Amino acid sequence: MAQNTEINIPVADPDDPYAVPAAMPSSADRSPRSFDVDDFAVPTARQEEWRYTPIDRVAEFFEVFEPAGTTTVAVANIDGSPVDAGRVGVARVPMGQAPSGTVSKPTDRIAAVAWNSAREAVVVALHADTDQPVLVDVRGGGMDPDALHLVIVADDGVHADVVVEHHGAARIAEGVEIATGRGSQVSTTFVQEWDRGSKHVGGHRIHVGEGATLRHSMVTLGGDVVRIRMDQDFGGPQGDLNMLGVYFADPGEHIEHRTMVVHNHPECRSRVVYKGALDGEGAHSTWVGNALIEPTAPGTDSYELNRNLVLTPGAIADSEPNLEIENGNIVGAGHASSVGRFDDEELFYLQSRGIPEAEARKLVVRGFFGELVDEIGIGQIADHLMTIIDRRLTRGESEAMTNVLEEK
Amino acid sequence: MSTLQIKDLVASVETKDGRKRILKGVNLTVNSGETHAIMGPNGSGKSTLAYTLAGHPKYEVESGQVLLDGQDLLAMTPDERAKAGLFLAMQYPVEVPGVSMTNFLRTAKTEIDGKAPAIRTWTRELTDAMKRLKMDPKFATRSVNEGFSGGEKKRAEVLQLELLRPKFAVLDETDSGLDVDALRIVSEGVNRAKESTGLGILMVTHYTRILKYIKPDIVHVFADGHFVKTGGPELADELEEQGYDQFLPEGAGSESALA
Repeated sequence: MAQNTEINIPVADPDDPYAVPAAMPSSADRSPRSFDVDDFAVPTARQEEWRYTPIDRVAEFFEVFEPAGTTTVAVANIDGSPVDAGRVGVARVPMGQAPSGTVSKPTDRIAAVAWNSAREAVVVALHADTDQPVLVDVRGGGMDPDALHLVIVADDGVHADVVVEHHGAARIAEGVEIATGRGSQVSTTFVQEWDRGSKHVGGHRIHVGEGATLRHSMVTLGGDVVRIRMDQDFGGPQGDLNMLGVYFADPGEHIEHRTMVVHNHPECRSRVVYKGALDGEGAHSTWVGNALIEPTAPGTDSYELNRNLVLTPGAIADSEPNLEIENGNIVGAGHASSVGRFDDEELFYLQSRGIPEAEARKLVVRGFFGELVDEIGIGQIADHLMTIIDRRLTRGESEAMTNVLEEK
Repeated sequence: MSTLQIKDLVASVETKDGRKRILKGVNLTVNSGETHAIMGPNGSGKSTLAYTLAGHPKYEVESGQVLLDGQDLLAMTPDERAKAGLFLAMQYPVEVPGVSMTNFLRTAKTEIDGKAPAIRTWTRELTDAMKRLKMDPKFATRSVNEGFSGGEKKRAEVLQLELLRPKFAVLDETDSGLDVDALRIVSEGVNRAKESTGLGILMVTHYTRILKYIKPDIVHVFADGHFVKTGGPELADELEEQGYDQFLPEGAGSESALA
């Protein structure tokens, strides 16, 4: 990524000072990249990167540990049938054996700890177009700390979809590498549907091939602490990155997503849209969206958006878009961020039509997420996600209401 | 045959200047099939009465009773009141972004009836009801009231009235902001609902023009937080000619009592 690239910082023309941005080094991407844990300071709340994170609740992931090895990973088609080995290769390789360790390097201490703690990497290699999404089922095996490394690679020109589902109880540090080939069209969807009390930390390192399209979705619906950082760059011109996120925080939960989009090649496009709902005292979400447009990326078109819906008082949503533009010749670079409240008038209106308060909130959240899930544009995955979201919203609810919500 | 009884209802609202009493002893009995027009000057408390009946949290009931067939409405949450058979058509229907009309209506219908409507008949019922109200079918897929014009919102309120089939409907200035055609379409919807379900209606209005389309059996004048006069339809004509001045406290402008 950025730190090793020789760049010539443009110098402003005194007659036209706005033609190029001010000459200054990037501030958005100055953090180290390393496989070595000791290259990163132990996180404290004073560090910008960690200021929103409840440090004491993730401290068990600050040093390399012996993984419990209780997490299971199974790969199949989404309908349960085995994958076609000719199209989808599934392998377990030692850490550091390609393709593991080929997409950039860990970007923070926890990511480096995850890398050094994991025993092996699970590799899903997409060699040819798939008929249906591939499902990587990750099941936690309990509360002893575990580490996992996943690698998803797609060959040039491949059209394929991968869904990674996390469930069960776990305390897990997980690293993910995603690399897509030239001209490929891939979607990767990560669902965090952990049991209460679970912890999930780690990072995704993403490389989008030249002229390739990647749709990267995060759906985080449960976990005591979930903190996932995503770092991405492009492998050539005209890449297209679409990052979607949906999250739901319950009382006392901390759900944090950090996206770092780097435009390092010309004419690439990126969209980052994250939407979250928070319910109850002490529910806390964090979204930090960084976008960096390097001098080497003219014609960049980028936009990031975060919307939060606070359902009940006492929840806190932190939302921080950061945009650093080092190239004046771009199509667009925008960001928007909001934290809104489900207001009393909306609630009263729905109630006055016979809808109880709890159902009214669900209806609103379902609609709030539904708009985003529809954008995923892959019917099977959108339907699958709405089922998961409904399951989350109707936890322990009446059969009749589940049916109502399931009918589109 | 159902009865809605309001007995000595006193209610107040929190304002910047402290708690302010708006309803000062309201008494009214409405039976199924009856249409009551509630007329009065601005700020007399008509809308407060409507919202207090429906259970808006902003209004605090200090004393009095509201009974629907003997059931104590005031002890119920707004959704329970709706299930008991009360409907409030709002003057300013609220936009609920992200919730489609279709999902909203089906959820409301399920809650009111206690079971999900059969898909096939429900879809037809909805489509027909929208057609009669001359609503664009696209509205079904839009978010609740979002981006609707004033007239469209009022049609959507009457659409809900027709589909949810309450025992009593409070129409809070349903005529405001409607042009002549929309007023006729909306009124026809209310009349249809009354014909098919024997609905009892409390129609809060400022002007007499809606009374040409929805004929009241009884006309009440509401001023300073309570009913001050009750009569037949001819009372409306009298008000049209003489205005509300005679019912206002000495020296008070018609806006001064605004909450």
